[in-house]
This record gives sequence, structure tokens and C-alpha cells, in this order.
Amino acid sequence: MNIARDTALELYRVMGTIRRFEQRAEQLFGENKIWGTIHNYSGQEAVAAGVSAHLRDDDWITSTHRGHGHCIAKRADLGKMFAELLGRETGYCRGRGGSMHIADTSKGNLGANGIVGGGIPIAVGAALTAKQTKTDRVAVSYFGDGGANQGTFHEGLNLAAIWALPVVFVLENNQYAETNPVRDAFAVEDIATRAAGYGMPGVTVNGQDVRETYRAGGEAVARARRGDGPTLLVMDTYRYGGHYYGDPQVYRSKEEIEEWRAKRDPLAIARDWILTEKLASPADFDRIDTEVDAAVERGVKFAEASPPASPITLPEDVYAT
Amino acid sequence: MKMAARTKARHESLGLSLEDVVQMYRVMLQTRMIGERMMQLNRMGKAMFVGVADGHEAAEVGSAWCIRKGVDWCVPYYRDVGVALVLGQTAKDQFLGVFAKATDPNSGGRQIVNQFSDVKAKMLSGSVHIATQFPHAVGLALAAKIRKQDHIVVTYGGEGATSPGDFHEAMNFAAVHELPVVFVIENNQYAISTPVKLQMAVANVADRAAAYGMPGVIADGTDVLDVYEKTKQACDRARGGDGPTLVEVKCYRYRPHSSDDDDSRYRSKDELQAWLQKDPIDKAAAYLLQQAVAASRLEDMRQEIAADIEAAITAAENDPDPDPATLTRYVYGEDAE
Ligand SMILES: Cc1ncc(C[n+]2csc(CCOP(=O)(O)OP(=O)(O)O)c2C)c(N)n1
Ligand SMILES: Cc1ncc(C[n+]2csc(CCOP(=O)(O)OP(=O)(O)O)c2C)c(N)n1
Ligand SMILES: [Mg+2]
Ligand SMILES: [Mg+2]
Repeated sequence: MNIARDTALELYRVMGTIRRFEQRAEQLFGENKIWGTIHNYSGQEAVAAGVSAHLRDDDWITSTHRGHGHCIAKRADLGKMFAELLGRETGYCRGRGGSMHIADTSKGNLGANGIVGGGIPIAVGAALTAKQTKTDRVAVSYFGDGGANQGTFHEGLNLAAIWALPVVFVLENNQYAETNPVRDAFAVEDIATRAAGYGMPGVTVNGQDVRETYRAGGEAVARARRGDGPTLLVMDTYRYGGHYYGDPQVYRSKEEIEEWRAKRDPLAIARDWILTEKLASPADFDRIDTEVDAAVERGVKFAEASPPASPITLPEDVYAT
Repeated sequence: MKMAARTKARHESLGLSLEDVVQMYRVMLQTRMIGERMMQLNRMGKAMFVGVADGHEAAEVGSAWCIRKGVDWCVPYYRDVGVALVLGQTAKDQFLGVFAKATDPNSGGRQIVNQFSDVKAKMLSGSVHIATQFPHAVGLALAAKIRKQDHIVVTYGGEGATSPGDFHEAMNFAAVHELPVVFVIENNQYAISTPVKLQMAVANVADRAAAYGMPGVIADGTDVLDVYEKTKQACDRARGGDGPTLVEVKCYRYRPHSSDDDDSRYRSKDELQAWLQKDPIDKAAAYLLQQAVAASRLEDMRQEIAADIEAAITAAENDPDPDPATLTRYVYGEDAE
């Protein structure tokens, strides 16, 4: 599949933004400015960027505890994201939720979710809405390999299959659920075989190559939009950081991490591809990188200049008014 | 090539004596006849609510025959009257549950009917919430592995019970840890009014097993020997330390889902008729007759069972009701106070 220059550079920009956002978030965490915890998406950028590139603002996603990348790829406002992390009134949830509770319904982002596997039934419900209201909207549910072993996965995929709902299940197999490696959590080699148990297609995708995630995401989203039902995409990927900020990572080796970083970095792969195909020049990348840095810094500034969330207004927004 | 002088009968090649098959038949018939009386008692206003196993007899008896009594654990579901009888419960035990008597072995008259629970028979009490039995069964199997105990676990559910997440978590955990557990799924084509084709987008429940790296086999639920054979292989696998198996037993329930259900609203008489042609009890009887068991023996058996059931109903009715003053007993362990 040929990807045009504009699309290629946009995919690169989204991935670069995620990477830079996560670097800054870790820095802010180190400066003790972030409340709660954060889970770093670095290493997995190609997944969210490639799939969400096919979504409109009225399409939905559900996200996870490791959700910053999903938010950004669904065109979230970086300032409001940082504000949420920093517990500011201007954050997506007025600073009350933090990293694991960013939702942006104006962009179809139904929210990060601290419950592993918790987003899956929500996405299925959204897809049911699309079907009942006879629209061509699509829902994408991002979740991890750990999420795939929750009962919500089973109930969600089964319902989506029997009702042929417009939903794409994006399983980000980053090889670990906290400390638990996938080989200790699945008795099957190929996780995509799970799909056959529900009667839906299951595809394993190289999640480090944005061309692959873009292609597979495009096909699955188009299938859903046509009304042909759900797909399970198993994205082979890797998280560079610990499970959470400060994770001692005794369950994996430095060599393993280095191997992925050196050979399968999604940003490096994208750069190589774009340069080899002469879709852009090194100068284009420099320009994009500078713009990305500036956008992220603007976000941080906005957040730091915003007032902290007030305990006085805490009971507001608990119930709809 | 020379033919063997005498080809082995099916039951022999499965390691069963003809008397074994006669006894299997007896429990199947007993299950059916208990069900008939339960439904009658309900219509007479004597039993508040019942659910019966009609059509499931081969599925339940054939599979439960593989359980070593007093050794293996069983985690059944509410349709498993036949399993309970194989494991040693009596006709009276069933009616004590129906009448919610203080002497009901399952719960002392507290639970809804058919919530089998029996320490002696090693049947673990279940919850009314379908599919919760699967994680419980897997826990028992994990205990066997950790404690290096000899038991395996046989657990039961309907095809509808394969849709809740509990099934998924249990199957995956059992497969990952290669636990000694057998999942017997009695696929009777309906979960109350929901036909199986609206329950899942795959043709067979057994197709789900591959997703967990577990073998999935299909047994003919109208044929007690086929059910025995497939379940036995699965149990042997578990006993050999080779892990879990899913056994799908295809059958049909002849009665409504429960005494509160009107099945004419969601299924046709023709469909029911087609399955009645394959009645597992008739099939087992035909086999025994073909193996030269006397018809009179089977008839005598029916009368004995009938007499036993009538005596059981009378005895159960005469047993005491639970004393309301004891209501809070058995909520917590007795020695917890
Ligand atoms: C229902 C539930 N169980 C346990 C946890 C604790 N927990 C948080 S993240 C996590 C691992 C999730 O792994 P995976 O789905 O692979 O996502 P990843 O962290 O690898 O992105 C666990 C067990 C939780 N948040 N929710
Ligand atoms: C979690 C839960 N949901 C719903 C019910 C209500 N309910 C009781 S039996 C049943 C159908 C189960 O069908 P299946 O597993 O196929 O067993 P069958 O009754 O056909 O033998 C349902 C939905 C329940 N008991 N528990
Ligand atoms: Mg993971
Ligand atoms: Mg059923």
C-alpha cells in the first residue's frame, strides 16, 4: 500500500508528539508535579497513530491506564492533558482524575480506564449505538495483553460478533502485563487465534511499523464502517519504560529492552521508510520535530499557568445536572 | 484378512461391563422419572419452582460415570440431577430440595432447587449466577496441583454459561497452568429462550477451546456411551497431568427451561419432535436389548424406580421444614461465632 507524503508525515508527527509528551510527563513526575501515577506509552506509538488515523471525530475510542498515546492520536489538546496530569482546573476532568481518567467526548474519546479490560464493553456499547442509530460511526477499543484475559474481553467480543457491530479490537501485545510475560498468560502461541473462538477475523500485526498498523487499522475500520462486523487486531509491540514510573523491572533484561529499541523503534522505522521512499527530506523531519517540541512545551506552560483543582468544588460533576 | 471371532461390543471396548451400562441406564431413567414427578408437583402447587433434566440424561450420566466417587471433585450446575444421582444422592434428596425441607442435603432448605452441594459426594455448592462454577472448579484443580493431590475436577455448565467472562478467565487459567479439570458443556441449544445461534457466532462451543490452547471435543448427547468415551478421554488426560479439556455434549431439553417458562413461545413442536426421535433413554434401552438384556428386567427396573420415587416423595413431605429461628445458620462457618 502506498501512503502519500502528507499522511506519512502526519503519522510521524503523531508518533513524535506521543514520544515527546511522555518524556515531558516523566520529567514533570520526577519534579513531583504530577499526582497519582503515570504509565508510559513510549515504544507503542505506531499502534495508536496508525489505527486512529482512520477515525473521524465522531468515531469513538476507549483507552487504558496507558492511555496518553491513544488520547493524542485522537487529537486531544496537549494543554488540557498536561493540566489533567498536574491536577489543574483546566484539565480534561478539571484535574480530579489524572492520567488514567482523561476523556474527551467532543473527539469521541470515551476515556482512559484504570480497570484492565474495562474499556472493551464500553466500546461495544458505543458500536451498538452506531448500529441502532443507523450511522456509519465506528468504535475502536485499545487494550493490553493483560486486558485480553479479562472476562470483559470475552463478553465484549462475543456480543460484537453475534451482533456484527462496527468495532475494532486493538490488542496491544507489549509482551507484559505488569510483571507477567505473555508466555505465562496465554497457552496459545498466536493470540490472534482467539478471534476464531468468536467467529471474527483475527490478524497479527507488526505494531512497530506504522505502515503495517495503518494498513491493518484501515482495513478493519473500513470493514466495520461497511457494516461487516468486528475485527481483532493483535499488535506486536513493546513498552520501553517500566510498567509504571519507578518500576525496578526485575522481570526483564536490559538486553531485551535494548534489542527492541535498537531494531524495532517505531519512529526510526518510520523515518527510514519515509526517507527511503523519498517522501520527505531530513529537513522536513527537523521542522516537524521542532514543531512537536514547541507544541508540547506550549501544553506544559498552559498547564503550569492554570489554577490547581479546588477541593471546594470537588462534589461538582459527580452527578449529571 | 481374517475377521476376529467376535468383535467387541462398544461398551467392552470402553472398558465397561454390560452391568455398568445397565446401571447407567437405571440412573438415566431415574433422572427422567424424578423430573416428571417434579413437574407434576409444581403443577399441583406443592413445589414452588423446579427445573428438570429431561433430554440431558445421557449427557449427565455418561460424563459423571467418569468421576471417581469420593476422590474427584465435581462442580455441577442446576440441571445436573443425573450427575447428583450418579455421585450418590438419592431420589429423596431431590424431593427434600423441591420441598425446601430442613433435611435437604444441599442447603437445609435454603437454596433454590438443584443447587447441589454435598461434602460426601465431593460436590461443591454453586451459585445461582451462571458460570461462577467455572472459576471455582479451576481453583479446586489448582489446589490439586499445588498440594499434589490425586483428584481431578469435573465441572458442568450450559452453552449459555460459556458467554459470561467467568468462562473465559477459567478456561485461560486452566490452560496456562495445565490444571486437571474437565469442562463439560451441555449444549441443549437454548439458554432459556435464546437459541445457540444468537448466543455465539461459531458453530460449536468446542470451537472455543482452541483459543485457549486446549482440546475441544464434541460428544453426541443422545448416546450415553459416546459421552462416556469422550469424557473418559478428557479425564484420563487430566489425570495424566496433561491439562484441561472442553467436552461439548450436544443435547436438547425436552421440557421448558423451568416450571416458570413457556417454551412454545420460542421453539417449534417440529424441532422438539425431531429431537424426541433421538431420545437418549430409548437409545440406551435399545442398546441393552440388542446386548440381550431382558426386556422384563428393564420393565421391572422402571417399576422399582417408580415405587422408590413415590416413597421418597412421601418421606420428603413428612420431613420437617426448616425452623425460622435457624435462618442465619450456614451463612458463615459454624465455628466462626
Ligand atoms: C481489573 C484490574 N485488575 C488488575 C489491575 C492492576 N493492573 C493495572 S495495569 C495491569 C497490567 C495490565 O497489563 P496489560 O493489559 O497488558 O497492559 P499494559 O500495562 O501492558 O499496557 C494490572 C494487572 C487493574 N488495574 N484492574
Ligand atoms: C449471571 C446470570 N445471568 C443470568 C441468569 C439467569 N439465567 C438462569 S439460567 C439461564 C440460562 C442458562 O442457559 P444455559 O447455560 O444454556 O443452561 P441451560 O439452562 O440451557 O441448561 C439464565 C440466563 C443467571 N442465573 N445468572
Ligand atoms: Mg501488556
Ligand atoms: Mg442451554
